[in-house]
Amino acid sequence: MNLTAKNKCILAAFSATAGFVNGFLGGGGGVIIVALLLAVIKLHQKYAQATALLVVLPLTAVSAAVYLWKGSVDWIPTLWATLGVVVGGAAGALLLSKLKGNVAKIIFALVLIAGGVKMFF
Amino acid sequence: MQVFLLILFGFIAGIFGGMGMGGGTVLVPLLSFLDLPQKTIQAINLIGFLPMCCVALVFHAKNKLLKPVGIGWLIVPALALAVVGALVADSASNDVLRYCFAAFLLTVGVWQLIVAIKFAIAQKKQSRFDDNDTKRQ
Repeated sequence: MNLTAKNKCILAAFSATAGFVNGFLGGGGGVIIVALLLAVIKLHQKYAQATALLVVLPLTAVSAAVYLWKGSVDWIPTLWATLGVVVGGAAGALLLSKLKGNVAKIIFALVLIAGGVKMFF
Repeated sequence: MQVFLLILFGFIAGIFGGMGMGGGTVLVPLLSFLDLPQKTIQAINLIGFLPMCCVALVFHAKNKLLKPVGIGWLIVPALALAVVGALVADSASNDVLRYCFAAFLLTVGVWQLIVAIKFAIAQKKQSRFDDNDTKRQ
């Protein structure tokens, strides 16, 4: 696929935003990358979600390295939470084939809104 | 108790992450229930994501779901600004980071809800059209 100059500029500008968000907030860049892959590169949803990880992995690694360098990492809670994330990740991969995509999306959106409200107060 | 909650919250966020839906955006608000500074929570989120992402990528590669078209245009600018973002986060207060994350969650949550509702409406219209088509035949 040949990208036009305009599309290259859109990809560069919005992925830079995703990178900044991921570094500043410690996550969340993936949502923007998935949207870019869907809207500009025209990938289907499941390809976009999978391919976004290729972008998010290196930018999460460099962000984590900066947090580590600046002494923001507390290893004990990090290791316990990581254990849960890895086991939950395997469960999520199995669930994906059994759950309707839109149901998962609505649950995800409601969890984010509830989380946002909780963090404000 | 805190160890149990850390594993439980990690597990819940991991489920969304494993489905490729942004587990990180779920883990941060869950961890905010615990008595941890926002920067520590964000660091947990970043580091916890790394092993899960590696496993998921192996799985997606085996299923031929990776389409790295034009990916260089995404990775290079994202990497540069990720470092800048992490450095800015270091100089920001925990409260500022917490409110920024809350605003980000609300924005993405409302956006995703609108997308899901639009998709559901489009599917309903399509199934009605298919039903009418079947009756005509």
